[in-house]
Amino acid sequence: MAEPAALASPGRPVILTLPRATWRGALRQAWRDRVLYLFLLPFALLTALFGIWPIIESIVIAFTTSATALSDAPEYAGLRNFRTVLADPVFADSLWRTLLYTVVSVVLNVGLALAIALLLTNKLLTHGRTLLKLAIFLPVVTPDVASFITWKWMVNTDFGAVNAVLLSLGLPPFAGITRPFSAFATLLAVETWHHVGLYALVFMTNLQLLDPALTEAAQIDGASRWQRFRHVVLPQLRPALTINAVYALIQFLKTFTVVVVITKGGPNFSTNFLSYYAYTKFEVAQYGEATAMATILFAMVFVLAAAAMWLGEQGDHR
Amino acid sequence: MRRALVYAAALLLALVFLYPFWWMVVSSFRTQSAILSAPLRLLPETLDLAAWRSIARLGGTDLAVYVFNSLAITALSTLLAIATTGFGAYALCRNPRLPLFALVRYGFLLSIMFPYMLLLIPLYFVTYKLGLLGSYAGIVLVLSLVPLVFFLFVQFFRSIPRELLEAARVDGASETQVLLRIVLPLARPVVLTATLIAFLLNWKQWFPVLVLSASPDTYTLPVALLALNSEYGINFQSTMALATLTTLPVVVLFILTQRRVLDGFLAGAVKG
Repeated sequence: MAEPAALASPGRPVILTLPRATWRGALRQAWRDRVLYLFLLPFALLTALFGIWPIIESIVIAFTTSATALSDAPEYAGLRNFRTVLADPVFADSLWRTLLYTVVSVVLNVGLALAIALLLTNKLLTHGRTLLKLAIFLPVVTPDVASFITWKWMVNTDFGAVNAVLLSLGLPPFAGITRPFSAFATLLAVETWHHVGLYALVFMTNLQLLDPALTEAAQIDGASRWQRFRHVVLPQLRPALTINAVYALIQFLKTFTVVVVITKGGPNFSTNFLSYYAYTKFEVAQYGEATAMATILFAMVFVLAAAAMWLGEQGDHR
Repeated sequence: MRRALVYAAALLLALVFLYPFWWMVVSSFRTQSAILSAPLRLLPETLDLAAWRSIARLGGTDLAVYVFNSLAITALSTLLAIATTGFGAYALCRNPRLPLFALVRYGFLLSIMFPYMLLLIPLYFVTYKLGLLGSYAGIVLVLSLVPLVFFLFVQFFRSIPRELLEAARVDGASETQVLLRIVLPLARPVVLTATLIAFLLNWKQWFPVLVLSASPDTYTLPVALLALNSEYGINFQSTMALATLTTLPVVVLFILTQRRVLDGFLAGAVKG
């Protein structure tokens, strides 16, 4: 949850040039408000040094050979790195796996968050609501390394709590991170546990803003419980749905920490997601390939997030 | 009956979300053989402090160093984030149409859209070129850009009526006086919220710290925990003890300041 509001307004053109007639006025304004430049300077410097420069650096390195990337005279490699990456079957696998993981995660997280929010705002729940809210949000503020390590041991096949519970209920044991499919499922579950609290919180806030008159009217008209939810409540939840879907999309496309802590991409590459694969390339000094992958992922996040935002806004205007 | 169902679901939910924390703490006080024979026991048989003693020194460095690093790096980067982002966001909101302001704003938005984990790879090169690799300064500077803090501030500054500030200017107050006498007193709550959130978020940061460190001397608790996790033949109880130590401060802080933290996360999320 480091960068939740990543998309204040993607797709809006950057306006840098002013019409000629206002140049003089703009400069006068700038002089009058010159102290504002002073206020902005430290932030602008940090953004330039640690935000913009690395992005440019990343794109430049993607076009240089790995061996010379760190030297004073980097050697231009054209599109070679991109071609290597795109021809790499492991990259293609990892790309599809990342997309599959993202889609499943978004649906699971948004669905579960909505269910939790509905439970927490249920009128029958008169006690312990605040406590429950704290409980579901606790993982969001917990250092992810610590909670992921705990889960890694919880799903341990020898003495983990998960299998102990399953066995005591007479259910078959869970293979945890020893099998490809269950490793994939483990990461999905653990990351959902970690993030779903925030999405649930957004839904809860939206649910508290519903218009009770609409639900009452539907009830008087004889709409069933499900019909009321489907046609009265759900349409009013569109803002929260959009926000959550976009955040979850950005969040899960970048899945990384959980892989590093729990599976390291295995077993048999079954959890080798894009961010992690790019990082392993970086670790073995294949800088060109690593940054080429970063650039591709960046373009994907940008396009998908912009598309999701656009779809959300289209819905608002209907 | 329906009520019973609702409470059953609520109880199950609380269990799923809270039990891992309990397991983490309890396991750090139990012996390996005890855990193997009864994984689900809720209380330790005896308080076994072996795991806690074993983490007093990790990877050739004292635990105290990691604790100090965590506190110092988190506190400094939080202060820097609040100061630079606060003033910066204020300037951007006060007069967004000044030359170059749009450039800074869109530059920032673009940089947080770049996958953070992958930004760290080029950031490694940048800090290397700046001569900051392996230094506290490099880590603190990189951690002082916290997107959520920026959005909290922008949202707040936009809510201040423009007329209020312009009227003060017309009355002869300088831009600095407007900031100090009018905006700053109003901004106290948002500064407090942003500080809390930046602290919570930077405490758990591990990847920038790992990538920008040259040795364990600048590791924070989460990074030390990750290093312990990667060792072969690790002692499971020791990782649980270190995980408990890493988690405890933020959990306590969160519980003490829950309203403010929840509102802050929500405001930051809804802003996008």
